[in-house]
Amino acid sequence: MAEADGVSVRSVLPCLREAELIKQGAEARVYRVRFLGRSAIVKERFPKRYRHPALDEKLTRRRVAQEVRSILRCRKAGIAAPVVYFVDLSSNCIFLEEITESITTREHIAAARASGRSVESLHDLAENMGRILAKMHDEDVIHGDLTTSNMLLKTESSGELTLMLIDFGLSFVSALPEDKGVDLYVLEKAFLSTHPNTETLFQKLLHSYTGASKKAPAVIKKLDEVRLRGRKRSMVG
Amino acid sequence: MHLTNSLELFPEFAVTQLLFRDVKNCAELRKMAMEGKIAGALINPAMVLDPFQTLLAANKAVHVQKVGKMKTRSLYSEIIFSLSPTNNISEAFKRFGISDNDHAVLIVLVHNKEEEYNKDDVQSKVDGQQIPADQMSSLSDFAKIKKLYKVSSQEEKCGSVLDAVICRMAAKDVV
Repeated sequence: MAEADGVSVRSVLPCLREAELIKQGAEARVYRVRFLGRSAIVKERFPKRYRHPALDEKLTRRRVAQEVRSILRCRKAGIAAPVVYFVDLSSNCIFLEEITESITTREHIAAARASGRSVESLHDLAENMGRILAKMHDEDVIHGDLTTSNMLLKTESSGELTLMLIDFGLSFVSALPEDKGVDLYVLEKAFLSTHPNTETLFQKLLHSYTGASKKAPAVIKKLDEVRLRGRKRSMVG
Repeated sequence: MHLTNSLELFPEFAVTQLLFRDVKNCAELRKMAMEGKIAGALINPAMVLDPFQTLLAANKAVHVQKVGKMKTRSLYSEIIFSLSPTNNISEAFKRFGISDNDHAVLIVLVHNKEEEYNKDDVQSKVDGQQIPADQMSSLSDFAKIKKLYKVSSQEEKCGSVLDAVICRMAAKDVV
């Protein structure tokens, strides 16, 4: 596991050595820092020692670039995603705007369920999620890791809630209904396992997704196929 | 009047920004900059929305200098180049540098953190009125910026024009 590298090899960038580590995953470490007078999030993709160095460098660089491209593509389409401040391709770090005043939709749904609110009270949120994902797929951005933790609900100064997509680390560009179907399938799996007994909520999401995109029917058809066979295509025969 | 910020990534350096309006000698200043007689980047403030935008450009310029990936000849021309959404160098100078008949100038200096920048040296060369650097947005040409960075009204739904500009500057090398 990459995590085994632990603290001893923390960060190529000197300024991250003292920084507050807020998340460590298999692919990257996420820090909170001050950057040019603002609070920022740094996502550092560290070297994987289980891979050949040349391959590792190539893969990592490509993923950093793809993450930034997808964010820009989404923002251009009016889909909220964090502002990219700076990309350091020599240490594979991305400096992003810190999203303050926000909670994950995961926390939001869990809190609503825990406080005994009905599933119906979350229908608006699910519909909003469906609309935004439809818009993202219309831009041919495949997120690659859709979960309720990767969608933030940000409270704007106006009091409005904005749904923001984060973590485009596994994203790519594709127009294939297959890829979009798998994207939704990954979300369905994550959604239903994180939030038990919310099947109707996910149905709402899919319903608004279908209503929001002309390309949706082909995607939903693929989603049905993917449900039967799983995320990976069969390579037999 | 001026704004000085430190660069977290390069703690030995600081960036100072000075803003002037009613400048009468832009042609002369431009000539001095090209001859290397002014140790600073001379920027057309109409193309800048906020000091943060130029600060990011300076941060990036110092970064590419450190890693040996400069696309232009000096740190100061690299700051101007970093502001541009495209990789066309002469286009970047034309849009973001000053022209002979401009009347305002933003000067961005990168200096050693320990030393005060050479204020008098710069100020004595500019024939114009210095105004607080944080009033930068009063000189920006919003329409021109939106056009040059191709910011759509759609994008403005999810953030400010400054956000859009910053993203394009950051993503320039990977798009």
